[in-house]
Amino acid sequence: MDEQRPTLLNSSAAAATAAEAAFRIDAPPPPPRSARVIALDSGASEVIRRVAEQSWGASHFLSYRPGSPVITAGGDLPDVLLYGADGTTLRQFSQETDGADMVFMVATADDGANAAAAIGEACWYRGITTGGVVFGDEANVRRAVAALRPHARVLLVTQDEDDVAAVLTALRA
Amino acid sequence: MLKPEINELLTRTGPATPMGQIFRRYWIPALLAKELPEDDSPPVRVKLLSERLIAFRDSAGQYGLIDEFCAHRGVSLWFGKNEGDGLRCAYHGWKYAVTGQCVDVPSEPEGSIFPRKVKLTSYPLVKIGDVLWTYMGDPALQPAVPQFEWVHVPEDQHYTSKRWQESNWLQALEGGIDSSHVSWLHSGGLKNDPLFKGAKGNEYNMSDLKPHFEVAEADGGLFIGARRNAEEGYYYWRITPWVMPSFTLVPPRGDHPVHGHFWIPIDDENCWVFTFDYHPVRPLTAEELQAMKDGYGVHNQYVPGTFRPLQNKDNDYLMDRGAQQRGETFSGVWGIAMQDASLQESMGPNVDRTKERLLPTDTGIIKARQKLRKAAEGLRDRGLQPPGTEPAHQRVRSAAIVLPRDEAFIDASREALTVMPGVAQTSV
Repeated sequence: MDEQRPTLLNSSAAAATAAEAAFRIDAPPPPPRSARVIALDSGASEVIRRVAEQSWGASHFLSYRPGSPVITAGGDLPDVLLYGADGTTLRQFSQETDGADMVFMVATADDGANAAAAIGEACWYRGITTGGVVFGDEANVRRAVAALRPHARVLLVTQDEDDVAAVLTALRA
Repeated sequence: MLKPEINELLTRTGPATPMGQIFRRYWIPALLAKELPEDDSPPVRVKLLSERLIAFRDSAGQYGLIDEFCAHRGVSLWFGKNEGDGLRCAYHGWKYAVTGQCVDVPSEPEGSIFPRKVKLTSYPLVKIGDVLWTYMGDPALQPAVPQFEWVHVPEDQHYTSKRWQESNWLQALEGGIDSSHVSWLHSGGLKNDPLFKGAKGNEYNMSDLKPHFEVAEADGGLFIGARRNAEEGYYYWRITPWVMPSFTLVPPRGDHPVHGHFWIPIDDENCWVFTFDYHPVRPLTAEELQAMKDGYGVHNQYVPGTFRPLQNKDNDYLMDRGAQQRGETFSGVWGIAMQDASLQESMGPNVDRTKERLLPTDTGIIKARQKLRKAAEGLRDRGLQPPGTEPAHQRVRSAAIVLPRDEAFIDASREALTVMPGVAQTSV
C-alpha cells in the first residue's frame, strides 16, 4: 500500500460504494453494434424473421437458402448469396461485411454447413467476430453444432427462440 | 447491456422480490458448521436475503435459524443465553426454541397461554457436510435436501471456507461463469499456485489465449464449455456446470481437488462466497488442506476473527505492483479468490449493467441472465418451479477433457459431467 494516505476517497479501493458510483463519468451510450444475423436454413429463417420485426440499430438480418452455391468472389475468399429480411432482395455476403463488427449465424440443422464455412473463413480474414445460435431437436442440433463449431467463436445451443433477441440486445445490436 | 428494470429484477433478493422468491425455493448455505461447533454454542448473527436472523444450536444438538429480534420489544437475541431447550432473551427472559416458538415469558403467570401465541419467523437449519443449510421458502414447497457431491463425500475428502464479498451476488456469480478471464487475471496462479500448477491442461490454457465457447442447456442450469487448441485434430475442453441459482464447479486440473462456489446474497450489496474443495475418491492431503487454509487455490486469508478477507478495499487489497511487473500476478493482487473479488467489488456494490459493452464471448453470462430472468418471471407470474431443486440437477460435475475436433462436448462428456460415486473426476 502507498505510504502516503489517500486524501480523497476515490484514491483507494474503498471508493467502491454506491455514493461514489455517482461520480463515474456518465458517458453517452455507445453506438449500436453493426451485426449481421444470418439464418442458415429454413427453420432458422423463420426465427430471425420474427426477431427482425423488433427495433434494431445498424444490424442486418439475412438468410441463406440451402443448396445455393458458394461462389468465389474476386480473389480467393469464398462468398455466398443471401436474402434480405424481405425474402427477395439478394445480397452477397462480401457486400454485407462493410461496416460489420460481428456476425451471428443461426441454425436449426446442418443444411447450411457450406455457407457457414464460407462465412466463417471470410470473417476470419476480415477480423469479424463470429457467433452461432443453434436450436432444435437433439439429432439436428448435433449436426448443426458440428457444422458451426469451427466457424463460431461462441456457440449457444438452446431450446429457447427468445435467446436470439436476448443475445443481440445484450450486445447492443 | 441490460435494461435497468431487468437489472433490478436479477439483483434484488429481499423478501417479496422476484429473485428473492427464487432463492427461497432452494436450500442455500447459511453458515459453516464450525460456527456452531457444539451444543449450546453462543448464537451467531446471520443476514441472508436481506433478513436478519440468529442461528443457534440447543442442548439437544438441534439447529435453529430464527428472527434475530425478540418479539417483546425488538431486542437482539444475540445477547441471549443459550440454555436448555432454547435461546433466552437477555432483556426480560423471553425464551425461544429452535422453531422460533416462544416457550417462556417469565413475567406471565405459570400456565399462561400467552407464550403459545408468540412465534418468531424461523427456517430449518440442517447440517450436510461441513455446511449448515437453510430453506427460507414456503414449508409446503420444501425441496429435497442438497445433493451436491461435495457435501456428501467423506469428511476427509472436502474442505469449505466462506468469505464476505462486498458486492451484489450476481456480478460475483458472473465471474464464476465467465472463464475467458482465467488466461489473463489468473495467469500467475496457473504457474505458481500449489492447488493449480503442474497440470497438463495448464499448458493448453497458456498457449491458446483465445478460447472458443459453447453454452448448452442443462436440466438445472447450463454447461459452459471453453475449448482451446490441443494436439493436432483435438481440442482441450474445460466444462463448467452452473446449477441455479448460484452454484458453479471449476473444471479440474490434474489430480488436484475440485473447486467450486456458492454465492449467497446477504443483502443487495453484499454476498457470502462459500468456497469448497473436494476430491471424489481420496482424502485431501495434509499439504492440500494446509494450502487451502493458507489462502491458496480459490480460498483466501482473513482479518483474524472475521470472515472478511485480509486483502480488502480498505487496504487496496495489499496491491503489489512489483509482483505485477514481474509477472507473478496480472493485477498485482495475490491469490485467485481475491483477484476475482477485488475486481468484482471495484464494479460497485451493484454494478450498472446499462453501461456494459459485451462481446460475443460473454454469451454464457447473457444466457445465464436470461435463464434467471425467465425463472423469476415464471415463478412470479405463473408459479413455475425453477430449475435446480431436483437432486438429479445437483448431481453434476465439472470436467476437463481432450476431444477430437468434431465431437460435441455435451455428448462426449455426458458421463464425465455426472456424479459417479467411486469414480475420479475427468481431468487433464
